[in-house]
Amino acid sequence: MDRKQNLTALLFTGPFIVAYLVIFIYPTIQLVHLSFTDAPLIGPGAWIGFKNYIRLWNDGQMWKSTFNTFYFVLLTVIPTTIIGLALALMVNRLSGWFQSIILACFFLPYILPVSVVILIWQWVLDTQFGIAQPIISYFTGKPVAVFRDRYWAMPMVAFITIWWTNGFNLLLFIAGLRNISQDYYDAAALDGAGRFKQFVYITLPLIWPVTALVLTIQLILQLKIFDQVYLLTQGGPANATYVMVQYIYKQAFQLNKGGYAATVSLALFALIVVLSVLQYQVLRSRGQK
Amino acid sequence: MRGLMTKALATAALLALTMGAQAKETVVWWDFLGGGDGVRMKQLLEKFNKENPDIEIQATTLEWGVPFYTKVQTSAAVGEGPDVMTYHLSRLPLGVSTGTLREITPDELKAAGIDAKNFTPANWEAAQVDGKQYAVPFDIHSVVLYYNKDLLNKSGLLGDDGLPKGLDGVENFNAALKKLKADGVEVPLSTHTAAGDSQWRIFYSLLGQQDVPFLKDGKVLDGGDEQKAVDTLKEMASWVADGYTPANVEYPASIALFTSGKAAMHINGVWEVPTFTDLAKDGKLGFEWGAVRIPVLYNHPATWADSHSFAVPNNKGKEISPEKLKAVLTVIDWMNKNSLFWATAGHLPAYLPARDSEEFKTMQPNATYAVLADTAVFDPSSTIAGVASPIYEGMQNYFVPAVNGQLDPEEAVKSLKDELQGLIE
Repeated sequence: MDRKQNLTALLFTGPFIVAYLVIFIYPTIQLVHLSFTDAPLIGPGAWIGFKNYIRLWNDGQMWKSTFNTFYFVLLTVIPTTIIGLALALMVNRLSGWFQSIILACFFLPYILPVSVVILIWQWVLDTQFGIAQPIISYFTGKPVAVFRDRYWAMPMVAFITIWWTNGFNLLLFIAGLRNISQDYYDAAALDGAGRFKQFVYITLPLIWPVTALVLTIQLILQLKIFDQVYLLTQGGPANATYVMVQYIYKQAFQLNKGGYAATVSLALFALIVVLSVLQYQVLRSRGQK
Repeated sequence: MRGLMTKALATAALLALTMGAQAKETVVWWDFLGGGDGVRMKQLLEKFNKENPDIEIQATTLEWGVPFYTKVQTSAAVGEGPDVMTYHLSRLPLGVSTGTLREITPDELKAAGIDAKNFTPANWEAAQVDGKQYAVPFDIHSVVLYYNKDLLNKSGLLGDDGLPKGLDGVENFNAALKKLKADGVEVPLSTHTAAGDSQWRIFYSLLGQQDVPFLKDGKVLDGGDEQKAVDTLKEMASWVADGYTPANVEYPASIALFTSGKAAMHINGVWEVPTFTDLAKDGKLGFEWGAVRIPVLYNHPATWADSHSFAVPNNKGKEISPEKLKAVLTVIDWMNKNSLFWATAGHLPAYLPARDSEEFKTMQPNATYAVLADTAVFDPSSTIAGVASPIYEGMQNYFVPAVNGQLDPEEAVKSLKDELQGLIE
């Protein structure tokens, strides 16, 4: 009986395990191997030991890219979570078809391809014709070529990213909010708790698992930032938006250094694993408190 | 009986196949000619297909620069490249180092009737790495100074011969810009201040005028050359800082500033000559225009130049067949023999019989700026140089912010130098 069950289990999980081994584990092992060679973009290379890793440690642009990646994470992960929650709280108070329409409006950017998103914002922020430039001029006194400015570029990429992806977070939060029973609020209201107290003592603790999930998904996603940077700034100006994946792209496709690109990829991989596990643990322990 | 039938059928099929191949050889062609010159190339391709019924060129135009060269490199590495493609000679050492290009042997060239004698030695040798030929030059192209005759004339900067005057020397050039601005010209000088490649062309021309090598004996801007590079970059940045050149102008916008009559002068490649020729012909320009060699701001004339060439990708696992190669070389030879028409796209033909012809010598405005070929400075022959190379990327990353007043010129030159030096070692 046991054996039959095992067989059934194997039959059902088999395709997944095979696919997982072939398209994830095998390439990962190859990637590790590649990082110890001087391979070009395509084709094999000679074994060079830890040379790539030593180079990685002494590579100024790589550290700058790592710093920029963290800067981008800082600018996006927590803001997008807070905005997502705030919007969800507001949308949640609406009802019926009106709620559906508002929800659709917020979700719409998320279904756009990244190239369309970039085109929209390039025009909105265009130095000569951009409709957002009067707002910028109001604060700075003159139009700013935001994607060519060392200080504006990264915050703008972050802003566009939040605009683009926030709809998904909003949706997760809405789902979380709908799971909270109305009874809690009724009981709290009977005991004289105001809206703010209800939010702090009921909504926040009960929505925490969803918040932890959103934060973790966002952290992993934003550490891998590439598309927006590649399309908007290519890492410039003066390295201000060079992020890790852009650097991997440069090494692999522009400099034809497959081995070193693999080393940087591995560093990013390790960083994501460590950070996301750490963050999830911290958030979970806070939730259990 | 059945065996015989099969054999006969197979032979017939084989015959039909080879005959078909002999009847029409297709040549897959990739180029990056999307500018004003792309229109001329399309006409050349049509003409070729009409005149050569046994060869059919299937042409595709891809996006210039990094997208083109990334695609070429990866597709050749997996055997999916074209049969022939346009290639910048500045990038040849880099292309050979990544194994993207196939050698064209002396015998193959000879069989196709392509002769080194028909090209200047420097141009022909720029298509070689370690004595092996990897490409055939097609043109020499450069940047020129386009000017608005009406605006220059109003400010007294136009000679009786219709050519600009008083622009040589840094002080004179800046004084001219100041005069134009004072006379109410909105944009005295339009350049693509947002584009690293354009800034490289200007910067490298100005370095050449001072005999400063960008790369020498494996050293980037060695010793005192670094300071000279900083000073040159400061000069370029001053045009923006002093309000003569608008900041952060993209490529199309910089052309629009000139064609709309707002800019008195415009530095751009010769490949935009057709844009202005065609506009003027249709009476849409509204002013008289001309093009001359870049003014001598420093010691002597020198202008950045590059060469379009034709190359055969090294398609891994899919060696080009001798028949196909023969067709490809026929195409290349035909293009060079018809390159007088290509000159109407602004370029100087690499093929000497075309460049030395009477027709070319009277072709305007090419004849005016053709002298630049004698003092042309080509990109350093190195794997860090050329279109879509580390130098070009560094220009975008460091020099563009410096030109637009975002980054200290000293820091820009130092960052670029350190990065490129690191790649050489």
